[in-house]
Amino acid sequence: MRRAAPWTIGAAAALGLPLVVHDPFFLHLCILVLMWTLLGSAWNVLGGFAGQVSFGHASLFGMGAYTTIMLYLQAGIAPWWGIPIGGVVAAATALPIGLIAFRLRGPYFSLSTLAMAEIVRLVALNWEEVTNGPVGFLITDLPPVRILGTAVNWEAKEPFYLAITLLTLLGLVATYGLKHSRLGAYLVAIRENEDAAEAVGIDTVRAKVLTLALSGFLAGLGGGFYAFYFRYVDPDAVFPIALSMEMVFIAMVGGLGTVGGPLVGAVFLTAIGETVRARFQVGHLVFYGLFMMLAIRYMPEGIWGRLHRLVAGRWQGRGVAAGGPRGAA
Amino acid sequence: METLVQSLVSGVLTGALYAMIGVGLTVVFGVMRIINLAHGEMVMLGMFGAFWGQALWGLDPFVSVVVWVPVLFVGGALVYRFLLRKIIPGGELNTLLYTAGLSLLVANLALLLWTGDYRTINLRYAMSPMRPFGIAVPIPLAIAFGLALLITGALYLFLARTDTGRAVRATSQNAEAAVLMGIDVQRIAMLTFGLGTALAGAAGVLLAPSLYLYPTVGEILIVKCFVIVVLGGLGSIPGAIAGGILLGLVESLGAVYVSMALKDGIGFVIFLLVLLYRPSGLFGVGKA
Repeated sequence: MRRAAPWTIGAAAALGLPLVVHDPFFLHLCILVLMWTLLGSAWNVLGGFAGQVSFGHASLFGMGAYTTIMLYLQAGIAPWWGIPIGGVVAAATALPIGLIAFRLRGPYFSLSTLAMAEIVRLVALNWEEVTNGPVGFLITDLPPVRILGTAVNWEAKEPFYLAITLLTLLGLVATYGLKHSRLGAYLVAIRENEDAAEAVGIDTVRAKVLTLALSGFLAGLGGGFYAFYFRYVDPDAVFPIALSMEMVFIAMVGGLGTVGGPLVGAVFLTAIGETVRARFQVGHLVFYGLFMMLAIRYMPEGIWGRLHRLVAGRWQGRGVAAGGPRGAA
Repeated sequence: METLVQSLVSGVLTGALYAMIGVGLTVVFGVMRIINLAHGEMVMLGMFGAFWGQALWGLDPFVSVVVWVPVLFVGGALVYRFLLRKIIPGGELNTLLYTAGLSLLVANLALLLWTGDYRTINLRYAMSPMRPFGIAVPIPLAIAFGLALLITGALYLFLARTDTGRAVRATSQNAEAAVLMGIDVQRIAMLTFGLGTALAGAAGVLLAPSLYLYPTVGEILIVKCFVIVVLGGLGSIPGAIAGGILLGLVESLGAVYVSMALKDGIGFVIFLLVLLYRPSGLFGVGKA
């Protein structure tokens, strides 16, 4: 448990941040970074650990977002219940997608997830009786809540910051738990050689479906939080291909199959992306593409994986520790 | 009856252009096993080439093909030589992700340079459609169709009749055997990537007067493109041509007889069914 200490301190510091920092723009940036960390982790569980590269995670994110906002607007269920329900709905959506896509491997798996995400987007766009079509949904007021006798101010960033911090911590803990579980070991075996994994008796379909459900749940939580924070959901906002790609890129640039990778990737890419957005309004993904290419070419283990290797190498007094991405935390 | 003929005609016209884009993707896959996610952005670059050619130099979009095809050929060859070549040994998933990065980079650079505005190209000679036998045929699409046939036909002859073309096909069938036969596979790969890019760009130039152009249009095109090449069997050129025409027909018939809104969805459903049940394509020639 040598590693538990820095993580606990980090979590405490993250939760305490709004006591020190009050700048709304900075908190907004932190909220985005944490949301993308959660989404990157959601993708990473399936793509990084199990090696199943999905290009369709926007569909799961969008299911969470639509569930949360529709439960609130049409049934009066508050978002803090709607977000976990959104996660469950997204996990449930992931299952039929998995049953189809897991029959394919490698790039064909990726292309099939892309096609299914597009089908989901088209349904959301055209099934106007249920989804409001391209108009989408808008939350005008969040329900009044009192915590410890004070009313929560929904115009401030702090409540959203605390909510996403808790959700993201949940995502990171889930990833950590997965990594050190039997299932995590199965997934690495599947990633490295699926036929061999099957040959030694791993139920690969079961392992992949369970992981997809976890991945979908986390992506759905992220989508639910998106609806809660931005208070607006339409098909182009929550189902675009670019959103699926952003999740992939954050996990890849940060470090595939690592717990901290999506956090590092989100800090790095979101900070750059938001700077570009603030300056030029459009094209904020330009550096995502660039760093993706650089990472694949020069740093396939990602930023976190590389840092971890350097640090581990120093501790052991050797140049390079074993394993690269596999050895990283 | 007239509606049927009308949608058949427009389906085939659009389908020929889809086929051209699909052939570019499938040739590249055949030779170097790259599923090029940036293929749609190459079409986009062709479209903007046609737009700026007309806006800046008064060049007719259809004439500008002779400018942009060589430019994109060289551009594609350079992308292969300096960017992609080092990635290929990492496997198909790595190149897929790498070209995803390239696609996002190019699309967002275009957004920064040209903003996300929708643009159109107006041709003075093409305001009203031709009406042979009472069927409306938009003139820009008809010209594009003719040129697409010409270019795809020329490519076909090149691959079928010339030594270099045979070397491309040989590499596509078995790269190791091709090396043993004395083919410089690296050179062939570079040439093929240039060809694929040039084909995508040419299709973009030809499509530009018929579509709205904006920097992220590639995103839609690339997904259509996957449908086409998977329908025909990945790596198969005749398959991609058939797949392109088929998708054009499915979309135009679907728009009329199913629903305008769901026509894109039909393509995806067929795509999934083919991937699952006929992974080597409808004609059983692909390598999926």
